[in-house]
Amino acid sequence: MSLIIDVQQLTKRYGDKTALNNVEFSLDKGAPVALVGPNGAGKTTLFSLLCGYIKPSSGNIHILGHSPGHSALFGRLSALPQDAQLDPRFAIAEQLNFYARLQGMSRKLAKKDTARVLAMVALSDAANSRPSELSHGMRKRATIAQALLGSPEIVMLDEATAGLDPVNAKEIRAIVAEQASEVSFILSSHDLSELERLCDQVLYLDNGQLKQHKSLDIKGNTRFITLRMKQVHHEIIPVILQMPGVSHVHMTQDKEYLLTIINEQTNANIETDLLTLLANKNWLYAQLINGKTLENQLF
Amino acid sequence: MNINLSRLANIITFELVRLFKTKRGLLALSAFATIWFILLYYFISSASEMINSASFEGIVESFFGTLGLSALLDWPVSEYAIYWLVAVYFFPMFALMVCSDQFCSDSQRGTLRFITLRATRAELVLGRYLGQLLIIAILIFMTLVATTISACIRDISLLSDSIQIGVKLWLELIIIVMPFIALMSLLNTLVNSARLAIVVASLFFGLGPLIVSFITYQFGQDFYLNLIFPGGQISSVLSQNSMIASQYGLPVIQTLLLLMGSHLMMKRAAI
Repeated sequence: MSLIIDVQQLTKRYGDKTALNNVEFSLDKGAPVALVGPNGAGKTTLFSLLCGYIKPSSGNIHILGHSPGHSALFGRLSALPQDAQLDPRFAIAEQLNFYARLQGMSRKLAKKDTARVLAMVALSDAANSRPSELSHGMRKRATIAQALLGSPEIVMLDEATAGLDPVNAKEIRAIVAEQASEVSFILSSHDLSELERLCDQVLYLDNGQLKQHKSLDIKGNTRFITLRMKQVHHEIIPVILQMPGVSHVHMTQDKEYLLTIINEQTNANIETDLLTLLANKNWLYAQLINGKTLENQLF
Repeated sequence: MNINLSRLANIITFELVRLFKTKRGLLALSAFATIWFILLYYFISSASEMINSASFEGIVESFFGTLGLSALLDWPVSEYAIYWLVAVYFFPMFALMVCSDQFCSDSQRGTLRFITLRATRAELVLGRYLGQLLIIAILIFMTLVATTISACIRDISLLSDSIQIGVKLWLELIIIVMPFIALMSLLNTLVNSARLAIVVASLFFGLGPLIVSFITYQFGQDFYLNLIFPGGQISSVLSQNSMIASQYGLPVIQTLLLLMGSHLMMKRAAI
């Protein structure tokens, strides 16, 4: 694993307000990383610092061995900053072509790559449209396309699917999943189920402080299963508790249960046993999740 | 300062695209062409006819002499004498308007965030500046071509002299507008909109000299503060009596200082 981002004692103050307080973490190349936290937690500030849009009050950031904003990162680090928009006066292909040229591509290659990224976000037909002629979702996809130009090693997407309809959001998630083997994505979103689907690591910011930095991989002696039911069954907890290997059952929210499983070889087929039990009882389940949901892990 | 020539060239080229390929740019170009058509047809041509007319010779000589502009009457192409008097004031003001949005709207919209992931802030400041300068240079060139055509319609033998004077005036006008564009570059790093940049520039040129006079009066000493105003040398170069290096050194130094200030501000700015 190679280190892509190293953040040391990072603090950012705006006047009296501390947006980020002594944040430290390092990220290796690999699966997408989720950046989560409530509104005002400092996610966008962290993104802006990593991209070099703002300077830290103190601390150090190294991205691929360079300071943010260093010319060595051009084309290697790309981002979709929150609320940033393309120039409404130019066709989107023209602007993407300009960005590709700035990244050092030849005229021909820039044109080809622009067509490639626009096809990825299903905007080939709108290549010659100006942003003002496009819907909000299409404009968002165009800005995502700019982040995919060339072969970036790190792509940071701040609220990439916010405001998109479910179909477009799904397409964006598919692009991230498809590219994840080549590119290290850092995603910020309020949609925890989305991050859960895409990310293996989570950075949880709260009130400017990094509260958790963890991997979502299953480790240790216990593991978890999240069970979502179609209906409420009051007797479900004692019934599941009788299953061998289940040490604890906790109702996390309405019709959702968190099962703690002793991680032993004999309990390897616990999911099958659980589904059999539910079928025998004629209880309809909605979803069975291997592990805790991200929401349950963080809150 | 980290500057890559290829990226710089791309930023400059994109500025030209902004003028010649966008609706707003083409509209501005049409307005510019219309103004200059009116100036050339109704003002410069008519005035040059007056200069060349024997019946007005005394009045014209007296008028230009009073203003210290007699040297202009020695030019073989009289159209250029009038052109110069118009252009030397028109283009600096025009530059303040046209170059008022070098970063403001991009910064407000967040477009600069896409660009600064691919270009340094120094390249951005210099590229946008040179792009705007190139646009103004092209527009000046177009007006000079039009003036040359106007003179040649009157007398085709003036072609050679027109080209010679035209090239000289082109370079001089470019040097004159340079600090005005640089001033707008600096103001763009300080304010949020192009309109506000124009307002601040107007206040700078309107109230600035009054404040400088007040300071000079209060302290009884000349601090050479007038040197901070772009165009301070225009009254000296207007007469075209002689060419003094300092008359063109001042705008170049002002430009360099303003651009350095713009870069410094941009480097520190949150975008």
